[in-house]
Amino acid sequence: MPRKAFVLVVWSVVLAVCGVIVSNTRFSSDLSAFLPRSPTPAQQALVEQLKDGVVSRLVLVGLRGAPPDRLAAINKSMAAALRQDARFVAVSNGEPASQDADREFIFRYRYLLSTHIAPGYFDAPRLQSALEEALTLMTSEAGMLAKPLVIADPTGEVMRMAEELAGTTSPKTHQGTWISKDQSYSLMLLQTRAAGFDMNAQEQAIAAIHLAFTKAGGNAAIHLDLVGPGVFSVMTRAVIKGDAERFALAAAAIVALMLLIVFRSPRLLVLGFLPVGSGVLAGVAAVALFHGEVHGITLGFGATLIGEAVDYAIYLFLQSQARTGERLSLRRLWPTLRLGVLTSIFGFSALFFSKFPGLAQLGLFSIAGLIAAVLVTRFVLPELLPPGFRVTGIDRFGGYLFSGLRRLRVLRPYLAIAVGIGIASVLARADHLWQDELSSLSPVPLDAQALDGRLRGELGAPDVRHLVVVSAADEQSGLELTETVTARLELIKQQNLIAGYDSPTRYLPSLKAQRTRQASLPASAQLQVNLARAAEQMSFAPEAFAPFIEQVEQARHLPAMTRATLQGTQLALRYDSLVLQRQGQWFAMLPLTQVNELAKLSNALSPVLGEQVALLDLKHETDTLYRDYRKEAVLLSVLGAAAIVLLLAMSLRSVRRALSVCAPIAMAIVLTMAALIWSHQSLTIFHLVGMLLVVAVGSNYALFFERGLNADGNAPRTSVSLLTANLSTMVGFGLLGFSQVPVLSAIGTVVGLGAILSLVCSAALSSEFSREHA
Amino acid sequence: MDQLSQVRSARARFVEKRHLSMLRKPLESMGVLRYEAPGRLEKIVHKPKAERLLLEGDQLTLERDGGRKRKVLALTDIPELAALVSGLRATLAGDMKTLSRHYEVALEGPAEHWRMTLRPIEKKAAALVKYIRIFGTGVDLTTVEVQQADGDRSVMYLVKDLN
Repeated sequence: MPRKAFVLVVWSVVLAVCGVIVSNTRFSSDLSAFLPRSPTPAQQALVEQLKDGVVSRLVLVGLRGAPPDRLAAINKSMAAALRQDARFVAVSNGEPASQDADREFIFRYRYLLSTHIAPGYFDAPRLQSALEEALTLMTSEAGMLAKPLVIADPTGEVMRMAEELAGTTSPKTHQGTWISKDQSYSLMLLQTRAAGFDMNAQEQAIAAIHLAFTKAGGNAAIHLDLVGPGVFSVMTRAVIKGDAERFALAAAAIVALMLLIVFRSPRLLVLGFLPVGSGVLAGVAAVALFHGEVHGITLGFGATLIGEAVDYAIYLFLQSQARTGERLSLRRLWPTLRLGVLTSIFGFSALFFSKFPGLAQLGLFSIAGLIAAVLVTRFVLPELLPPGFRVTGIDRFGGYLFSGLRRLRVLRPYLAIAVGIGIASVLARADHLWQDELSSLSPVPLDAQALDGRLRGELGAPDVRHLVVVSAADEQSGLELTETVTARLELIKQQNLIAGYDSPTRYLPSLKAQRTRQASLPASAQLQVNLARAAEQMSFAPEAFAPFIEQVEQARHLPAMTRATLQGTQLALRYDSLVLQRQGQWFAMLPLTQVNELAKLSNALSPVLGEQVALLDLKHETDTLYRDYRKEAVLLSVLGAAAIVLLLAMSLRSVRRALSVCAPIAMAIVLTMAALIWSHQSLTIFHLVGMLLVVAVGSNYALFFERGLNADGNAPRTSVSLLTANLSTMVGFGLLGFSQVPVLSAIGTVVGLGAILSLVCSAALSSEFSREHA
Repeated sequence: MDQLSQVRSARARFVEKRHLSMLRKPLESMGVLRYEAPGRLEKIVHKPKAERLLLEGDQLTLERDGGRKRKVLALTDIPELAALVSGLRATLAGDMKTLSRHYEVALEGPAEHWRMTLRPIEKKAAALVKYIRIFGTGVDLTTVEVQQADGDRSVMYLVKDLN
């Protein structure tokens, strides 16, 4: 088989295989891939909770921009529509929360559900104070409505539980619906059936809210504000997708135009993108094979590969010249380029070995992608070009450019000073160089985060931050333990250390608790005696409380509730959202509301804390994990840098030469870091990723300068190729720097800036020029 | 009714007796009733326990224990209660339009000794209240009687308070 046919067949087959793999790959868009993988069961439960738990399902709704009356009317009508919608598990807006079915259920099981039921609860003295209350109620206007309930439930268990169900801490109401303290917002709290990470379902739920808003008479003058984890996931996906598409398209267009000007051939332009395309395909396939799924963000970095992979084609087209009748060949360039690729791979392996799943994917993607791209450039591209091909018309410009680059050596003293200052400012900030809050990576805009905090405060919604996690071998022992914890939390709530909490045992008490409650209910005869004694001083008719006596007797013989008994009520859905069963372990999540002093809370909880009960500060936990991963990534990067120096020293067979390649890149990175510090940015793990890309791209420049631009007697063409490569990188990444998504803007800024600095430093430090000069 | 609509404000002391089947003897309460045109009605109970009930616009506020227990309800949420409390208010305001929206209205007797019977039209309110009967002389109400559907009954006697 002729060489050309062989190469093209192999290439096509490999691409086809990659294509098949990619087409069968699951693409996840859930941000939890970028959450650290957690080692302990409690932390695992925590990540589950973040992905799947009740707090991930909350949607906070705020209506503003009209008088309170009008907002309340819209709120009510929206709530009525959403209560009919199966996508929502709970709709709370201050209106009597429980539906008829729930009310009936609570009514029937009130003496098994109520935490108040204990021996002595229905003794004469306690009953007497309950009856006094009831009598007062009868004097009031509301008495007429309350009468049927009072004679069946004189101690008011149903009322109290209904209030608990309606919300732990309720905001003020206006016309029966919640309103913010300054009366500007009408408020509603929704819980979706779907988990927060299920973005398609969340998107539908959000659409349903908007539809309900429009149908309720909402118009452009009235603002519908939605916040919450699910809303943010959907928003983030849209923003990232929008930004990535917009910037990738713009960058591709500008780079394409630039290459067209330099190459003067549409065909070359298309060929120039072949290594990039093959690289992205191979990268995705590698990640799919290794990780089982590919994260959307990893894919987004496909754009970043353009930065380096397009360079290969540029070097090939511009630096090589075929003699008449010969094919264009990378052969002479190959040693330099191969070393550049190896350098990049060493850099990216810092990511590949990370335990942070998102970064590991990114590392593998880049390594596989670069190898594929350079192989395509080396073996495939030359076969697709006509013999005797060369790009013409660049020599004159190249000549000017080369002499321009030579003049950059005058910058040496200034660069030395700048680097000195840069090192000093990096060292000065060494303690707080890195931003270690996971939220710093959050793609959610700051004003949306602020609104989230505000509505959360107004609604007394769980702040997604503090949780008590109870773990147990099975449901019943778990529920019993949760009851102990809940009793403690009730005390803590009375001390105002928390504003409220939720617990699965509010909806389904343990069998043991239910039986204890049943056992503490007095028999009919006894209850009658107690009641008669309690009512002695009052004017109640003897048979007035017959329904109460009858129903207490019934409650004594009710079969205890299980999860199946709850089926069809809101209680079932609430219960399910608070418990979780995985790998034979049972977990309960008790979200806390408004934790003021964590240390005091932890202290107050300490009697129940232990192996099975943990108080989690989610933000602290994730921040700690994130900091550990960041430290690991920095360490791996330093090791990667050392490996690069070693690689260069061995390949170039000279430590001095290796250092002359590393020096300009190191300078570029120091200056980039200093520039970030000077513009008051904290560094995140994504800036680190950007720096690795700078090493990857910059090492190519440095290697060409080290070899000497004129090594082939071809200095003008080499200069043009370097400038073209550099400009394409700068455009591609510089544009990303304007993205609203922190991940994209961090990498964009660092690489855009780092690339130009690498070129300038490489040129300024080049010994080729100093030799000439001397 | 026209005369009533001219009244800007009124204040009366009241004694209210509730005859409930669950009680052996009637429950008695007393206090002050205050009205300000067009829509503010306040019922302050002094005995047996202090309680305040304020109807203003669409909002009903219940206060007990000197304001420490406070409940705010929207009338639109509890239509049966709305029908009841708005009956008295609309009578005080001489607002025939509102009255006939909620009740079948029958007005009898001369102006110095009139009697008005209100029968709720809405189902939920009718299930609770059979009729409300209001007695009056001129612009002063003297008695408000509420006959509940389950046989319970309350009567409120009013004496104009000149202070």
